[in-house]
Amino acid sequence: MARRYDSSTTTFSPEGRLHQVEYAIEAINNAGTCVGILAQDGIVMASEKRVTSGLLAPSKTSEKTYKLCDHAACTVAGLTADANILIDQARLRAGRYSYQYAEAIPVEQLVEHVCNYKQAYTQYGGLRPFGVAFLFAGYDPHHGFQLYQSDPSGNYSGWKATAIGANNQAGKSLLKTEYGAKPEGGDGDEEMKTDDDDAEEEIRVPDVAEALRLAVKVLSKTMDGTIPSPEKMELFTMTLDESGKECVQRTLTVEESKKVVEEVEAETAAAGDA
Amino acid sequence: RMSILEYNGAAIIAMAGKDCVAIAADTRLGVQAQTVACDFRKVFKMNDRLFVGLGGLATDVQTVDQLLKFRQNLYELREERQMSPKVFSNVLSNILYEKRFGPYFIEPIVAGLDENNKPFLSGMDLIGAPVYTDDFVVTGTATGNMYGMCETLYKPDMEPEELFETLSQALLASVDRDALSGWGAVVHIITKDGVTSRELKARQD
Repeated sequence: MARRYDSSTTTFSPEGRLHQVEYAIEAINNAGTCVGILAQDGIVMASEKRVTSGLLAPSKTSEKTYKLCDHAACTVAGLTADANILIDQARLRAGRYSYQYAEAIPVEQLVEHVCNYKQAYTQYGGLRPFGVAFLFAGYDPHHGFQLYQSDPSGNYSGWKATAIGANNQAGKSLLKTEYGAKPEGGDGDEEMKTDDDDAEEEIRVPDVAEALRLAVKVLSKTMDGTIPSPEKMELFTMTLDESGKECVQRTLTVEESKKVVEEVEAETAAAGDA
Repeated sequence: RMSILEYNGAAIIAMAGKDCVAIAADTRLGVQAQTVACDFRKVFKMNDRLFVGLGGLATDVQTVDQLLKFRQNLYELREERQMSPKVFSNVLSNILYEKRFGPYFIEPIVAGLDENNKPFLSGMDLIGAPVYTDDFVVTGTATGNMYGMCETLYKPDMEPEELFETLSQALLASVDRDALSGWGAVVHIITKDGVTSRELKARQD
């Protein structure tokens, strides 16, 4: 039924859908998972590295995490070749903004620029959409730390925690229960409600260290449930330095990732015993 | 009416020492004969081992500085490494020649330490013709004076402290006989261990 309306990006189907965009989103669901978590003092992004061959030579420091400017970075799920074009666009935009305004580009504006660029390929030209989803992590003095997700349609939204790529639904549901839950042995789902609480649940925002552990936990779940191995994970953090003005962007070393994985394994073992 | 390159006034010198470079500039901003500011920056740090001195029309000095930062930023994002002084010098030369028939009215000098911590110096004209030296480069409205002072005072392989003294004396003596430069000076000494910047006490006339 969709067949007649799915070969052109720029044509709606009778149900009001753009099939090419939906197929692009499908392409991403086969890619390595990326998890993003907003923390009190920063942002954590964990990605699954899919090494297709042991013979591959590493060309850059990462195939998943990319720095866009001093105060923003992104992780990629989908077609790397498509992603490279968009990342370059984002870098140019951030640079041109700084050149024009002598100020750092607000994170949402950067995300919106990339998304507007993607949207054009769903409306004009007869070209296919980009088969990439991004998680953008950034800091600006107006809105603090922010985490955004974008997809091939050019749509974007801000998140406290989210996942893209393979098994992202499992990742997102785990995040829904665990993000902001109070830490103690046993399940963190239930929260004690006192008379002082409002109708909405209190979310206790984790710090970066805790967010890292949660990210690793989510990634282990999405990575086909195999034992989490630090070599297959890329852990990235964005925080502020002591002056509180400059961003610090770091990809953890293998040793540091190992430590986090071990902490998570200890936690799950303890929770299992309790 | 004077040349557009002499509208605002400048005097900038860079010198090479033993495993170090130093770059110094006056801080006057004038509109022809009238002095308008005495804290105008003409030397810009691109990174801990790379400085560029821009002499000429003040608006182009600031614009080219911003352009260079833009290009350097993109390079570092794409290549995931710092730009070496030689590459930077070439990028600058490229930017200037692109405007061959409507140029930026600046004559820059580049001073830095390469990957092996060896000094790098280069100067170029307003359309990007480069010159590479191993002793000193000068630019601005008092180049005649500066060449004379440098040629006389310079000797190779000076340590940072002696380099600072030599460079400072060369600059101070040069600007005093030039109406369009002076009114304060800044000196930066670059070694592999870091940068030391000092303001010179200069004649305020």
